[in-house]
Amino acid sequence: MTDERPDPADGAEEAPSTPEPAPAQHPVSAALTPALSSTILATLEHQGQTAFVVRSPDQRALLEHLRFEQNFEYLKDVTAIDFLGRDTVERFQLVYVLHRLTDHLTIRVHAWLSEEADEAPSVVDLWDLARWGERETHDMFGIVFDGNPDLRRLLMPEDYPAFPLLKDYPLKGRGERRQFPYLQPRGGEMVEGTPPPYPVTIGRGMHTPDYIEEVRRESRPKGE
Amino acid sequence: MGLESLISGEGFLTTKINDLVNWARKSALWPMPFGTACCAIEMMATFSGRYDISRFGAEVVRFSPRQSDLLIVSGRISIKMMPVLQKIYRQMPEPKWVISMGACASCGGVFDTYTLVQGVDQFIPVDVYVPGCPPRPESLLDAVFEIQQIIEGEKLDSGKHGS
Ligand code: SF4
Repeated sequence: MTDERPDPADGAEEAPSTPEPAPAQHPVSAALTPALSSTILATLEHQGQTAFVVRSPDQRALLEHLRFEQNFEYLKDVTAIDFLGRDTVERFQLVYVLHRLTDHLTIRVHAWLSEEADEAPSVVDLWDLARWGERETHDMFGIVFDGNPDLRRLLMPEDYPAFPLLKDYPLKGRGERRQFPYLQPRGGEMVEGTPPPYPVTIGRGMHTPDYIEEVRRESRPKGE
Repeated sequence: MGLESLISGEGFLTTKINDLVNWARKSALWPMPFGTACCAIEMMATFSGRYDISRFGAEVVRFSPRQSDLLIVSGRISIKMMPVLQKIYRQMPEPKWVISMGACASCGGVFDTYTLVQGVDQFIPVDVYVPGCPPRPESLLDAVFEIQQIIEGEKLDSGKHGS
């Protein structure tokens, strides 16, 4: 193990002793311009990794700055989280994981995206890898990345009628996995059954109001 | 094998055409491996030296469905893959048999999700199911024996294979 984690014993000693009035600012956030810092809603620390939380589309300017001014030349991943039924700023959160190869520093940028906006700026011109991440995020959540030149489905079949990682999409699907004819050998001829039509989908291909209500109810903490 | 010393000269033998054809078919199964997940690793082990499926005449693994008569579906079949599997099944010439290897191919296994077909037998006819996750090579060999037994019992004019 070569990474410089603080010794856990040290941390345990320091924590209760002095409540630090001003924690040392993270070098990345120290180098931000005031205009960018003002867009940051929160800065999270977890396991020695820093995350900046902003509201979409502010992440675009921040990522541009991190890419060109602070030299985060490697984008590890673009993905999203659906917080349906939780008490969060917005329903979706886009997550960008960035890495700087010179000092092996990883940071994350989280961007809240409202369900109505449904569209986020693409970062394909900053990192080519974003093509794949954004395509996958689009495939799974239906989020549209404005400026991505090739936003086709990546994992699901092209004619798939829904965005399966949305929390209001049932885990077992809506019958898509039964949409095939049955082949049987009979007298040498293939007899096919007719596949049932694709199930009816609502809105952006996903949910009924009842179902959302059900998800909300189930995702509440127990004992409420 | 000493056979030629027993049948000296131009021997002949009598048999039923049905038995002769079935004997030929069952002793030279040409598998089409359709390995999509971890079960395929066990299938490869079955094909290779230690378990050696060629002892039972089924070693000519063909990666072209047009040259094979035993489809071994080993692994998860997603809804994106199912049309491919159906196409491959259709491309195989008659007579043909299908082994559904492992829990995933037979019933979806633990993956009861939107992506996965819950058993390939809903969409193509399956002759033998192999239980296990993954099944051991011995189980796959046993499935091949089962297929051989099925072949032995078949009648040429039954119409099953388009005769
Ligand atoms: S049955 Fe088990 S070993 Fe076979 S494909 Fe499924 S998960 Fe993998």
